[in-house]
Amino acid sequence: MFNKSKNYEPILQECKQLKKEINCDFVGFAFQNTIGPDIKWHIAAGNHNEKYKLISVRYGKGIAGRVISTGRAMTIEDFPHHIIGKVLEYPIMLAEKLVYSHAVPVYYKEAAKGVLLVGNRSNKQLSREDVLIVQAASNKIEKIISC
Amino acid sequence: MERGPERNINQYLLQSSEDEIKRIALELHEGVAQTLFSIYTGIQLLETSTEDIKMKNYVREMAEVLERTIQEIRYLSVELHPPTLSTIGFFPALQSYLKLYTSTFGIVVDIEQAGEEIPLPVNHRIGLFRVCQEALANIAKYADSAKIKLQLNWEHHRVQILIQDFGIGFDVDAHIESHGLAAMAERMKLIGGDCIITSQLGKGTTIRLELGFASNVNGEGEKV
Repeated sequence: MFNKSKNYEPILQECKQLKKEINCDFVGFAFQNTIGPDIKWHIAAGNHNEKYKLISVRYGKGIAGRVISTGRAMTIEDFPHHIIGKVLEYPIMLAEKLVYSHAVPVYYKEAAKGVLLVGNRSNKQLSREDVLIVQAASNKIEKIISC
Repeated sequence: MERGPERNINQYLLQSSEDEIKRIALELHEGVAQTLFSIYTGIQLLETSTEDIKMKNYVREMAEVLERTIQEIRYLSVELHPPTLSTIGFFPALQSYLKLYTSTFGIVVDIEQAGEEIPLPVNHRIGLFRVCQEALANIAKYADSAKIKLQLNWEHHRVQILIQDFGIGFDVDAHIESHGLAAMAERMKLIGGDCIITSQLGKGTTIRLELGFASNVNGEGEKV
């Protein structure tokens, strides 16, 4: 599981590196707490405020909640338009004023326990190569957590 | 100006809708969530009674999904109609909702209460609660504020609620016809109150809700 004292720094570096590599505005990492079912945003790069630290991901809701419940990647191309559910179900998009975002699951012991989300404050989209880079970053984070 | 019968119909429709919301919230909280909890404890029992490591992990995973689902149902129930709103009172219901609001949107709410809560008729409590919910939702959607100050002042003949954010502000005159703001004003009007919105660009917005009542209101029913 995510161990803050051990995993924070390497994952933060991974997020910063990813942000630089794909030239996006925001990168966030959410993971299930060690105790209880809560999923919190633990790490962010390019954040405008500290709201992410207080947000708990609602299971099955919004981009992060859906990625964790389905175990599959998800993309929002033009928030708040063409979304599933209500605008208020996407707190990280509202908090960071994101228009575009792409999120992939982070697995631990074969179950989706977290999410790696990249976003832009414009509708600038990720290229196919960028999407692969995000997936590779998620795989690296999975390795960091499982060590 | 709105005619009397039309207002009565609006009140009737609103009341029917609130009754239905309350029924669904209660059913989710007391029915579905309780049943799922029974299944959850059964699954936990299965986990402890199996020796097969692979099966143990699988059962644990199922229990976790169920635990999250139960939590989500309880959150949904509080959002629809906090159980305390009709029983304990407006302030505890608001506190319970604000806890969920902060953990959902990451916006810190400082809440203060002056004076002692006067037990309002249930429809007034629900009306005030819905307007507060709408104001808070608007802040999460548009204000770009990390903090909200919410103040309740209970006086002898009225209650005043101030909801202040420190966000980007907006031109009130240009948006006064918007559905959200108009609905808040109308909802207050239906229970005999007022909703006053002031905003300064770059400094934030203040929403003042005022509801007057007879000093001997009876919380169980209508004003006496």
